Amino acid sequence: MPYLYNTPEDQAAMLAAIGARSIDELFAMIPADMRLRRPLAIPPAMSEMELTQHMTSLAAKNTHAGQKVCFLGGGSYDHFIPAAVDELAGRGEFYTSYTPYQAEVSQGNLQVVFEYQTLIARLTGLDVSNASLYDGGSAAAEAVLMAISSTRRYGKVVIAASVHPEYRQTIATYLENLGVELETIGTPRGVVQPHDLAAAVDDKTACVVVQQPNFFGCIEDAAALASIAHDAGALVVAAFDPISLGLLKRPGDWGADIAVAEGQTLGTPMQYGGPYLGIMACREKLVRRMPGRIAGQTGDRRGKRCFVLTLQTREQHIRREKATSNVCTNQGLFALRATIYLALLGPQGLRDTANLCLQKTRYAVERLCEHDRFELAFDAPTFKEVVIRDRRGRVDELLADALAAGFLAGVPLGQWYPELHDCFLIAVTEQRTRNEIDSWTHALAKMT
Amino acid sequence: MRNTRDTNLLFELSETGRRAHRLPACDVPERPVGELVPASALAAAPPALPELSEPQVVRHFANLSQLNMSVDTHFYPLGSCTMKYNPKRNERVAAMPGFSDLHPYQSEGTLQGMLQLLYELQEYLQEISGLDACSLQPSAGAHGELTALWVAATYFRDRGEKRTKVLVPDNAHGTNPASAAMAGFTTVTVKTLPSGTLDIDDLRRHLDNQIAVFMITNPNTVGIFEPRIREIADAVHQAGGLVYLDGANMNAILGIARPGDFGADMQHYNPHKTFSGPHGGGGPGAGPICVTEKLAPYLPAPVVIKTTEPSPDPSLQGRETDRYHLDYDRPKSIGRVRAFFGNVGVLVRAYCYIRTHGPDGLRRVSENAVLNANYLLSRVKHCLPVPQGDRCMHEFVASAAKVKTEKGISAMDLAKRLLDFGFHAPTVYFPLTVKESIMVEPTETESKETLDAFADTLIRIMEEDADLLHDAPHTTPISRPDEVRAARQPMLVWPETY
Repeated sequence: MPYLYNTPEDQAAMLAAIGARSIDELFAMIPADMRLRRPLAIPPAMSEMELTQHMTSLAAKNTHAGQKVCFLGGGSYDHFIPAAVDELAGRGEFYTSYTPYQAEVSQGNLQVVFEYQTLIARLTGLDVSNASLYDGGSAAAEAVLMAISSTRRYGKVVIAASVHPEYRQTIATYLENLGVELETIGTPRGVVQPHDLAAAVDDKTACVVVQQPNFFGCIEDAAALASIAHDAGALVVAAFDPISLGLLKRPGDWGADIAVAEGQTLGTPMQYGGPYLGIMACREKLVRRMPGRIAGQTGDRRGKRCFVLTLQTREQHIRREKATSNVCTNQGLFALRATIYLALLGPQGLRDTANLCLQKTRYAVERLCEHDRFELAFDAPTFKEVVIRDRRGRVDELLADALAAGFLAGVPLGQWYPELHDCFLIAVTEQRTRNEIDSWTHALAKMT
Repeated sequence: MRNTRDTNLLFELSETGRRAHRLPACDVPERPVGELVPASALAAAPPALPELSEPQVVRHFANLSQLNMSVDTHFYPLGSCTMKYNPKRNERVAAMPGFSDLHPYQSEGTLQGMLQLLYELQEYLQEISGLDACSLQPSAGAHGELTALWVAATYFRDRGEKRTKVLVPDNAHGTNPASAAMAGFTTVTVKTLPSGTLDIDDLRRHLDNQIAVFMITNPNTVGIFEPRIREIADAVHQAGGLVYLDGANMNAILGIARPGDFGADMQHYNPHKTFSGPHGGGGPGAGPICVTEKLAPYLPAPVVIKTTEPSPDPSLQGRETDRYHLDYDRPKSIGRVRAFFGNVGVLVRAYCYIRTHGPDGLRRVSENAVLNANYLLSRVKHCLPVPQGDRCMHEFVASAAKVKTEKGISAMDLAKRLLDFGFHAPTVYFPLTVKESIMVEPTETESKETLDAFADTLIRIMEEDADLLHDAPHTTPISRPDEVRAARQPMLVWPETY
C-alpha cells in the first residue's frame, strides 16, 4: 500500500511490544459474528499511474467550462482566479492542517481567519464575521435560525421568491421540524414589491430574507424592504454577491442585520457545486448568537500579539444541545482563498471586476434582444445576471442546440418557476470577451 | 530566520495606490454606471480593502503558512480527527478541469464522467457501511448527522408516529446533541461505564415509545468497539427507534466490520478523515450518509441513478450504454440540505482514495491504524494510564490525572510541551468522561520510528520540571495566548482607523 510505512518486521516488533500474536488479535473486541467474512465488493487497487489514467478518462467524459463559453450562473460563476490563489492555498502547511486547536502552532491559519473576518466585515459593512460556514445555502438557513433565536419569534419567516430557489428549499428543510412557518412572497415583476412585503410581515415574523442582487440578477429596492421589516420588529437577512460590492451599496449600509453569501466567487473553482464558502456577517449585538468558529486577537504570555479561536461558549463542543448550531469546522481552505483573492484585487480590482460584469451583461442583453425572439423578462435594473424570455418558448431545445454550437448558454428557469418555463438565466462575468458575447448572440439568434 | 515583517496584517502592509491583480480594459462599449444602476443602490466608494502588490501578497501568505503545523510537516496525532497523509495524486486529479471546472447547472449529458464517479462512490460507501442507500449531499459530518435526523423525523411522521427524543451517550461528540436540538428533538444523555462502554441498563431505562433515534459512535470516542452493539441495537429497535452510527471512527473498521451488519440504520462518513481529506485548515469536509432500504425514500434529492439505454453517440449506432442521471423525483424526500450537489471536490478525493486501496488496501489501512494505536498505547501506558485498558482500536484516551495530582502537570501542559519537540498535540479534554484526557490517534500512515520518537518524548517530558511545562511551549512562534482576554474583550476584526 502506498501510504503505509510498516514493514512485516516493524509489524512483528510492534506486535511483540503490544503482547499480541497477530493483528487479528487486536480486533478481538469486535465479536466474531459481526466481522465481515469476505473482501469488500469494490474494485481492486490501482497504482498512481492507473488511477491518473482512469480519472483522466472520467474527466474526459465531462464537458468543462473551459471547453465551451460559459454563461451559466445562479449562484456559481466562472470568475477569473489569479494564479497566486492556487499556488498559496496549495501549500501543504495550509491545506493539510486542521482547525487551530493549538494556537501556538496555528498562527498562520488563525491570522488568516482574522484577516478574512476583517475583509468580510469591510465588504458587508457589518461589524463582525464568523470564520465561514459550508456554503451560501446553509449559511442562509443558519442566519434564519439565528434570527429566530435572537428575536424569540417562532411564528414565521418571510422570504422573497427572488431568493435563490435552492436556498429557499434549504431553509424550508431546516425549518420543517421546528414549527416555524416559511412564507414566500411572489415576485412576478422580478423584484419584491414593498406593499407585498408590508402585507406579509407581522409581530410574529422573525426575519425577512431578501437577496441583492436577487436570483434573477435584478437589483431590489433593498433599503425600502429593510425598513418595512424593521418597522415590524423583524430582522433582515440579506444574501449578496461579494463581487457586486465593488459597485453596490453594502448590506450593512442598506439595513441588513445578517448578511450571507456564496463565497465561491472569491477565488474558488466551480467544481460542480462544492465545496464552497458560506459567508456570514452580522451586527455586533447578534454575535453571541452566531454559529461557527470565530477568531479573535489577544496577546501571549510575553505580550506578543496573537490570534485564537474565541467566544467558544456558543459552540457544540462546549454547549452541546444548547449550542447556537451543530456546525463544527469552518471552510478554512476557501476562507483562505477568499482572503488571498481579495488581497490581490484590492478595492480597485474589485470595482473593476464588478464594472466589467455590469458592462458586459448590459452589452450581451442589448445584442441578444436585437433579435425579436428574445426579450428581457423583467424591467428592473440588473447587475451580472438577467432573465431572458424565449418568445418561441423552446428553451430546452435552444440551450441544447447552443451547447452543440459551443456555449453553456444559460440556465432554464422552469425547473423552479413554472411561470418562467419560457425563460433562462444568463450570467456574464468579467471573463467573457466581446467576441464570445457576439458569437453567442449570433448562435442563439440563428437557432430554430 | 523568521520573517516577522511580512506577517504583519494585510491592513498594516497596505499602501494607497498599490495593486496586484489588474483587469483588462473593457472591450464592450462602456456606459456610465449611474445609467445602469439606480443611485440609491450604488456605494459611494468600494469597500476598504487593503492595497498590496502581488509579491507582497505571496510573501505574506507563504510566511503565514510556515507558522502552522500540518500533516505534510509534522506528526499530528489529534484524536478523533484522523490526521492521516493526504495523497498528492488526489490533489492533482481533483484539479483537472474535467472535475474542477464544471458548473453545477450544466446539463446531464455534459457530466457523464462526474455522475458516474458519484454513482460509483454511492455504491462503494453503501458496501463499506453494509447499508442500502446513500446521499452525498451533506457538507460535513455534523451536517450528515443533521440530515439523518431529518430523515428519521420524516420517516416517523410518515408512519404517523410522534417520537420526540434522541438518546446520546455521555461521551458523544458535541455535534450529536447539537444536531438533535437543531432537528427539533429533545436530547437525553445515556451513561457510559468506567470501562468506557455504554451502560446498557441506563439505555434500557430510557427506551420508550418517545424514542426516535439512538446515536452512537462505534468504535466509540474512547477508542473501544462496543462489544454488545447488537444487543444495544436490538433494544432500540424493539422500542421502535432507529440506530444512528456516528462514523467519525470508521478508520478502524474498513472491511472488518460494517455498521449495517451490527445494527445501524443510518450512518455518516467523514471522508476528510477516513478517506484522507485533506482537512484544509478547518474544512472542507463532506458528510455523506448511508441508510437502510426503508429510509431511502426520505434521503435528500437529488441522488445519482444509472440506467441502461441506447447511446446518443451516433457512432455507436444505438448500442446500449450506461447513462447517469440526477433523480429529483423523490416525493418523500426531506428536501435539500444545501445548494447544489454537495462537496464534490472532497468526494472526488475520497473516490480516488478508495480506488487506490481496493478491498485489501482498505482493510490494511484499518489494520495498521489499529496496530499503530495499540503500539503507541503499549509504549506510553506505564507513565500515562489508559483507564480503558491495554487494548484499543484506532485511538486511545490516556489520563494525566495521576501526574496532575502528583506533580501538578496537566493534560494541557503535556500537550503544549509536545509542541516544542515538533509534535502536534493530541486532543485534550475530550471526551469529558475521562479526567485530564489525552486522546491519541496516530493513524496508519506513521512509521514505528515516529511513534517511538513521540513516546520517548512524552516519557521524557513527564520527568521534566513542572514549571518548564507550565510555561510551555517555549520554541513556537508565540507562547500561550490569553484566551480569557480574547473572550472578555473580543477583538474580532481589525479596525478601519487604527
